[in-house]
Amino acid sequence: MPFLEAVASAPSIKEEYLWAIIASPLIAWGLIVLYFRKLPKVAGYLAILGIGIACALSYLTLFNVIDADGGIAIHTHEWFTSGPLIVNLGVRIDGLSAVMLVVVTSVSLLVQIYSQGYMSGDAGYGRYFAHMCLFTMSMLGLVLADNLFMLFIFWELVGLCSYLLIGFWFHKPSAAAAAKKAFIVTRIGDLGLLAALLLIWTRAGTFQIDEIQHLALTGALSSSVITWFALGIFAGAAGKSAQFPLQVWLPDAMEGPTPVSALIHAATMVAAGVYLVARFFPVFEVSTDARHVVAWIGAITAVIAATIALVQTDFKRVLAYSTISQLGYMMLALGAFGYVAAIFHLFTHAFFKALLFLGSGSVNHSTNTFDMRKMGGLKKFMPITYWTFMIGSLSLAGIFPLAGFWSKDEILLDAWRENRALWACGAAVAFMTAFYMFRAIILTFHGEYKGGEPVDHHDEDSHFHGDPGHPHESPWVMTIPLIVLSIPAIAAGWFAYHEKFGTFISGALPEAGHEGGSSFEWGVAVTSTLLALAGIGAAYAIYQRKWVTSESLRGTFAPFAMLFENKYYMDKIYEDLFVKTIFQKGWNRLLQMNDRYVVDGIVNGSGRLTREISDRARAIQTGQLQSYGLGFVAGVVILVVAVFAANPL
Amino acid sequence: MELTVLVFLPSVAAAIVLLLPERYEGYAKWVALAGTTAALALSIQMFFAFDLNQSGFQYVERHKWVDIGGFNLQYFLGVDGLSMPLIVLTTFLTVASVLISFNITSRPRAYYACLLVLATSVLGVFCALDFLLFFLFWELELFPMFLLIAVWGSGRKEYSATKFVLYTIAGSAFMLIGILILAFNQNTFDIEKLGQSQISGTLIPVGWVFFLLFIGFAVKLPVVPLHTWLPDAHSDAPTAVSVMLAGVLLKMGGYGIIRMCVTIMPGAADDYSIWFAGIGAASVLYGAFITLRQTDVKRLVAYSSVSHMGIVLLGIGALGSTGLAGATYQMLAHGLITGLFFVVIGLMYDRTHTREIAKLGGLARQMPLIATGMVFAGFGSLGLPALAGFIAEITVFLGTFQRYEWAVLMAIFGVVLSAGYVLWMLQRVMFGPVKHEWDGLTDQKYWWEHSAVAGLAALVILLGVYPALLMDMIQPAIDTIMMRVGS
Repeated sequence: MPFLEAVASAPSIKEEYLWAIIASPLIAWGLIVLYFRKLPKVAGYLAILGIGIACALSYLTLFNVIDADGGIAIHTHEWFTSGPLIVNLGVRIDGLSAVMLVVVTSVSLLVQIYSQGYMSGDAGYGRYFAHMCLFTMSMLGLVLADNLFMLFIFWELVGLCSYLLIGFWFHKPSAAAAAKKAFIVTRIGDLGLLAALLLIWTRAGTFQIDEIQHLALTGALSSSVITWFALGIFAGAAGKSAQFPLQVWLPDAMEGPTPVSALIHAATMVAAGVYLVARFFPVFEVSTDARHVVAWIGAITAVIAATIALVQTDFKRVLAYSTISQLGYMMLALGAFGYVAAIFHLFTHAFFKALLFLGSGSVNHSTNTFDMRKMGGLKKFMPITYWTFMIGSLSLAGIFPLAGFWSKDEILLDAWRENRALWACGAAVAFMTAFYMFRAIILTFHGEYKGGEPVDHHDEDSHFHGDPGHPHESPWVMTIPLIVLSIPAIAAGWFAYHEKFGTFISGALPEAGHEGGSSFEWGVAVTSTLLALAGIGAAYAIYQRKWVTSESLRGTFAPFAMLFENKYYMDKIYEDLFVKTIFQKGWNRLLQMNDRYVVDGIVNGSGRLTREISDRARAIQTGQLQSYGLGFVAGVVILVVAVFAANPL
Repeated sequence: MELTVLVFLPSVAAAIVLLLPERYEGYAKWVALAGTTAALALSIQMFFAFDLNQSGFQYVERHKWVDIGGFNLQYFLGVDGLSMPLIVLTTFLTVASVLISFNITSRPRAYYACLLVLATSVLGVFCALDFLLFFLFWELELFPMFLLIAVWGSGRKEYSATKFVLYTIAGSAFMLIGILILAFNQNTFDIEKLGQSQISGTLIPVGWVFFLLFIGFAVKLPVVPLHTWLPDAHSDAPTAVSVMLAGVLLKMGGYGIIRMCVTIMPGAADDYSIWFAGIGAASVLYGAFITLRQTDVKRLVAYSSVSHMGIVLLGIGALGSTGLAGATYQMLAHGLITGLFFVVIGLMYDRTHTREIAKLGGLARQMPLIATGMVFAGFGSLGLPALAGFIAEITVFLGTFQRYEWAVLMAIFGVVLSAGYVLWMLQRVMFGPVKHEWDGLTDQKYWWEHSAVAGLAALVILLGVYPALLMDMIQPAIDTIMMRVGS
């Protein structure tokens, strides 16, 4: 590693173990697809086994990197070459990838256990676990990739798995449409990533992450190249992490099974964008313009998504918008030099948001609905779900001393130091987050139960077994993951809130980041806590005590409510205006007409013309020797005259 | 000797098929399968025996054929790293085509004979190193193709068959003039020799000769705006013919451009390269936009081929080592992926008897295996990593970006558009509520169906995860050509 200053020792973990982390879920996938499609129970256990092995190896790796004080190890191999193009496959392990490995495999393992209960009886049970294994493999590959080319491969593969799992219940038109939308919208962002990949190889001649970081820091690349590269990377990140203006796919992605939402659309894949920007953080450090774009897109996303979350009636969509908002928070942090804060929040968020999603799944399992207007009073029927959900919500709201408090506080502190307007956005989001979460809790768990969604016995695809009229606590395979996840939702902040976490994560960078100074300030911490408490209080006042009714508030702020309820009209603009009108009915139709009438018109026209000419020409071929003779004589005469005309005697 | 055996093995099988008495016509498919499988086995053996470290042509066979007016017409066959993979692709897709034709009952002997003669002509094109021999094989292909579409096709089959033939012949006319001018200039039809000499002092400027040859190949590739025969031919051709057409016949165009135009007249290629890149990128977008408007599944895939072949032209336009290798890889990847696409569509059509997207829907429930195949082919088509198309596309993009940044930045929008047309089609055909009119239809179930689909899918994955298998063979051949471009 010529480009890395030897600050810490390289992690000594064997390369084979790192490849095994990717391979074990892949093997589980292969076995399920080839042999166990018809044996769903086995498929479920294989998934747990494969991901369990990856999880154990991930913890082993984490401890190994901790022993090495957050050093970096890279093992790379040539994959194929074409002229000057050399493409490698390799694994890179450092503090950042070690933390990501642990997050991905831990959440994935718990989600697979939970899914044994949640998905039981589903016709596609085996297919479900196959897709989950493929997803986990791809996500691990993405995290371990040592170069941009390989990262891009796994980046697209997680997109494939996301597509397959959102559209898991493909007979539902909404699910099929949501899957397509998710893939296409993220691919629009991927255009940027692809362009960045092309640009950096053309200008720097390498895909290796460490070399790109080094070239950026030493000024070997021109600043315009760096800025375009950084913006391309961020475009890809914005697609995957559902940042404005590409956030529209994530709420629709809730059509997938809830454990999928917990794993892919809350804890891991959507955080891949944040991971990607963090991976190339030195590039963003160099390019101030790109960094500002990241910060402000993050802030705008956080605010927009939080405002939409205020008015959702669907329990799961509240969580979806919350996820978008929190991802915006992480981007905001990255744009404000808060590299450690962003990864810290990614880490805590993965646990408490997975917990919240699994909690919402548990509620759905009992009531057959996500519509909060049909719930209420579930606290007494589902105590474990209620209390774990409460822990997750408090953590998300950033209440001391839960995990979310510490990571959110660091982000707000970085924002405060960078730009007060950014901080103001973050603070407003903190208030709204606490409000919408406790609105959801009160509507769902408090008050009187409103009966849930009756089971439609004619729906052959429904796998719902219970009786929504009599809600019950979920089985232990589902509640145990909730309980286990609430431990990091409480405590992940404590052991991570430590000087060592910062140096550990920063060890992944070629030089020490901007993590100087104290990372705690009483003013910022107290303000954000007060804002969160105010949000909880407001929700309590409106939905529990009904001192002010939500209807009257909606009346007062009707234009805003309309805007939020219609998701800022972005879906309408994209789908109705751009896709359906401008492209399908306009431009594409125009080209199609051109193809049919102009291009093919010329082809068929030349065919007709040939026939016309032949028909005319045929008139000369009379078969009468006299007329041929006449023509012959006339021709000779004309030639003779022409010759004499050209050469007068 | 191997190449002669390989090229004419299918024809021998065709002769046997034709000699079968009528009461044994049911055996025609077995004879065809035996003949094509033998050709496949031989080509695979040759593929692995091919010496990667030796430059130039291998398995060379050179015989004097006709001597007229000082022109030594030769029977000259040979392969290099450019043609060897295309030959394996051809033999492989021929086997697949025979397999998915197993349920053909109308005049099976004539049908298989045509299919087998078609295989001989395509193999001949990829092996011939004498320009006139090349041209003979090139023209030979029209005869079986015309019959296959016009007799065993559907819809406006006579119109489509005629359009296909006339279009190709019009292109060939230009090509023949180009061939003759080159031959009179250099006193030889020897492609190897032509590819080593400096062409100058031709009857018309070299750039025009280049253009004459290019027209012939561009019709075949096809290049927008010479593409409108393709959707018609595809939508009216039987499944196996679509597989051959998209899988290998289009590649004759790309192969011709690289082997003839670029290798023989590198200077002219350099002058035209900006047009290649521009028209290639435009084809990618133009094809993709129109694909989005298609209402027939087969026509949709046909138009997507126009878009994908634009990538081949874009890579050739790079006129660089990586770009040309990527273009070659794209031909192979597209052959397999689109071949698979047409196979799966054929399986669906055999059951539903419609390809109208609006009439289909919800099929994933009744036909899970066919749906899986369709989703797989779709993701191959939209360039998913770990499948063959991705390696090809990204290699072309990387190879071309340095020289024609703008063209690549245009073409990569095809990546989003392809996701659009593929996924939208899947949503409307395979997903959504079950339609009960399709209840009781069988899923993919016969061994020949399974083996055609699984074989193609396996190769698509293999080329996606192990690109060195082909790159190491293609690259030396491309580098030889590039040395001429550089000088």
